[in-house]
Amino acid sequence: MYNCTLKLSNDFEVFVMIVHLQGVWSSFCRMLGNQDSLLCYLLPLIRVVKPNYLPGVYRAKILHLGLQHQQGVHVRLKVSRRWPGFVAGQHIELIINKNGRNIKRTFSLCSSLSQWQKHGEIELFCRVNPDGYFTPTLRRLKVGDEVNIGQAFGDFVWQAHDQTSTFIAAGSGITPIAAMLLSQRQWHCAVTLVYRVKNRLQAPLLAELQRLAQQQTLFSLVVSESSQESASEFITGLNTLPQTLHYYLCGPRDFMQTVRENLLGAGVDHAGIHQEQFGSVSHASSSHQENDEQIITTFLQAGVPRNVTVSNTSNLLQGAELHGLSPNFGCRMGVCFQCVCQKVSGQVRDIRNGLLSGHGEEQIQLCISQPVSQLVIKL
Amino acid sequence: MTPTPTQLNDLQRDLDRLKQRILDQLGEDDARYIKRVSLVQRLSAIAGRIFMVLGFVTPWLWLVGVLSLALAKILDNMEIGHNVLHGQYDWMNDPLLHSKHYEWDIACDAGSWQRTHNYEHHTYTNIIGKDRDFGYGLLRLSNDLRWRIRNLWQSATYVVLSVLFEWGIAYHELAGQRVFSQKKKAGRHSQVSDAQLKKVFFSKGTRQIIKDYVFFPLLAGPMFFWVLGGNFLANLIRNLWTSTVIFCGHFTQGVHTFTQEQCQNESRGHWYYRQMLGSSNFTGPTWLHILTGHLSCQIEHHLFPDIPARHYPSMTSEVQAIAHKYGIAYNTGSFIGQYAGVFWRIIRYSFPGGLNTTRPSM
Repeated sequence: MYNCTLKLSNDFEVFVMIVHLQGVWSSFCRMLGNQDSLLCYLLPLIRVVKPNYLPGVYRAKILHLGLQHQQGVHVRLKVSRRWPGFVAGQHIELIINKNGRNIKRTFSLCSSLSQWQKHGEIELFCRVNPDGYFTPTLRRLKVGDEVNIGQAFGDFVWQAHDQTSTFIAAGSGITPIAAMLLSQRQWHCAVTLVYRVKNRLQAPLLAELQRLAQQQTLFSLVVSESSQESASEFITGLNTLPQTLHYYLCGPRDFMQTVRENLLGAGVDHAGIHQEQFGSVSHASSSHQENDEQIITTFLQAGVPRNVTVSNTSNLLQGAELHGLSPNFGCRMGVCFQCVCQKVSGQVRDIRNGLLSGHGEEQIQLCISQPVSQLVIKL
Repeated sequence: MTPTPTQLNDLQRDLDRLKQRILDQLGEDDARYIKRVSLVQRLSAIAGRIFMVLGFVTPWLWLVGVLSLALAKILDNMEIGHNVLHGQYDWMNDPLLHSKHYEWDIACDAGSWQRTHNYEHHTYTNIIGKDRDFGYGLLRLSNDLRWRIRNLWQSATYVVLSVLFEWGIAYHELAGQRVFSQKKKAGRHSQVSDAQLKKVFFSKGTRQIIKDYVFFPLLAGPMFFWVLGGNFLANLIRNLWTSTVIFCGHFTQGVHTFTQEQCQNESRGHWYYRQMLGSSNFTGPTWLHILTGHLSCQIEHHLFPDIPARHYPSMTSEVQAIAHKYGIAYNTGSFIGQYAGVFWRIIRYSFPGGLNTTRPSM
């Protein structure tokens, strides 16, 4: 017991020392080259050989890029050995370069853990939005191209492998669920996957899941085609399935809302429902909106979220100040870049020219941005 | 002759249209350009440090080292630093070239620079009493500023300011906030506390001093004094160059100033009008534009501070045509000619009297 405490405190001291040394090292790098690390200072040189090299993320090489039925891209990546790995069900940020810009989107991993462990490979399924900003560019990448990926994150994971579970997925919501099921090596109890698709022929990852259903007797797969079965029939069908302790849902917002209400109505405990929301946000028109609408905006200040409503006719800087927040500002006319903030999600409109931003993570100037859809902004 | 509000609106429309056209073109070429400039900057910095030590072979190598390091510092401060800190490359989403993260090889802290330069100077350009960059509170450059005894020796003050230019701009915000004085100016607000300003000033300044005057000289061992002197010289060259370029931007003969009353509730069109009259260009070959960070196109820079600077030279003819259309003076000339104008201004206004740069309002 005594030994154990001693060891712990030693480890802690080593940890503190390492943190301290890292601090000294980074101040030393800042002194030498005004950068946090020597690598950042040398980056312009590194980029001669590796043009898309970015600090703080991981390199990945495209091994395969297949277009599936015009609606999705299936990407297989060989990831850097430094990449710390993932838990099935998590997602990653994929960063690609489009006309000089680094753009990123979040996608769920859809491949198994063993594939990464054995071959260092991961797979993503990305639905293509033909009018979108990201996916059309992704489609044009070639095998052998290098992209960057972030660390895996997210808490939509299979929690209790030894308790009965039902997975319900719609469309490309199948990706995190496929990763969970395909990663499973020891099956302890019966698991059902209800997979709602437009039509069987175009359903992503269906072949892999059918193969799993053939090999694993504890796993059963139910496919529902929206061309064959109406939404209400589908919901009624759900109720005929035996009730389980856990439900994992992933799909468009409306779909999950309906399924969730139905499950709660059938007496499922809400602690047993795990869900992951995603889906395309409706695209706003780029003309100035006439009707005044209040948009929910979450400002993260030092990590603490603050939910406020901002009118879509006022700028975000005013909106934040109106609620007692005090972001940095300067000219208030888009010139001085003092109020630049990181937008985590949501869409804004540039007051000066009416142009709409993307939905993903990017930098915006608060003083010339109006909210368009629900926003999360780091102050 | 001051343009009417309608004319100012039209001016704004024309300039906005030009700006949008350039913004639509931004892409791969700009990214490649700024990355290449960064590469040259790093190579010349590293080469400069190495060649200085090789001075023991022949002093000529030491001289090459000094010039190479001075070039690196000038590129870092002008074409990369100044422009990146304006957010000209924020659209690239590159952490290395982003206005939020960039820190440069100069005594002035990047955040402090953004507050005094991007905000104060670019918003209130040439408004007497608001833009402290007009004379830096040290020089009397037109009859709009009251004459004081100390103006008699302002040409000497100017030389000292140029030699110590990086320290001048590092201290600029602290001077404005009067952090070392009990007499605060009424109505001045800051987003940063005095304590924070002092802390940042001293920490950035110390880092720069240790790097150039302790770390690299010690690393050179027996070449200690050669490297110390070489670094001093490289910093001096950079200081003189940046000061000269910046003085040519707003203090030339034809430049105009404005009163605070003229700019109350100012329209965007009037802001553009003021930027055009308050700035001046000088002409020269491409390498000169790059070494000035394209501040040789100060007018275009002041109209469009967030457009990547490499586009300015190609925009001059169009901006000049727009200026002509609305009867607004477009102040340009040769480098030598413009600098002579600045020098004359410093001498002339050492003495009382002279002409006003502010014109009576409409």
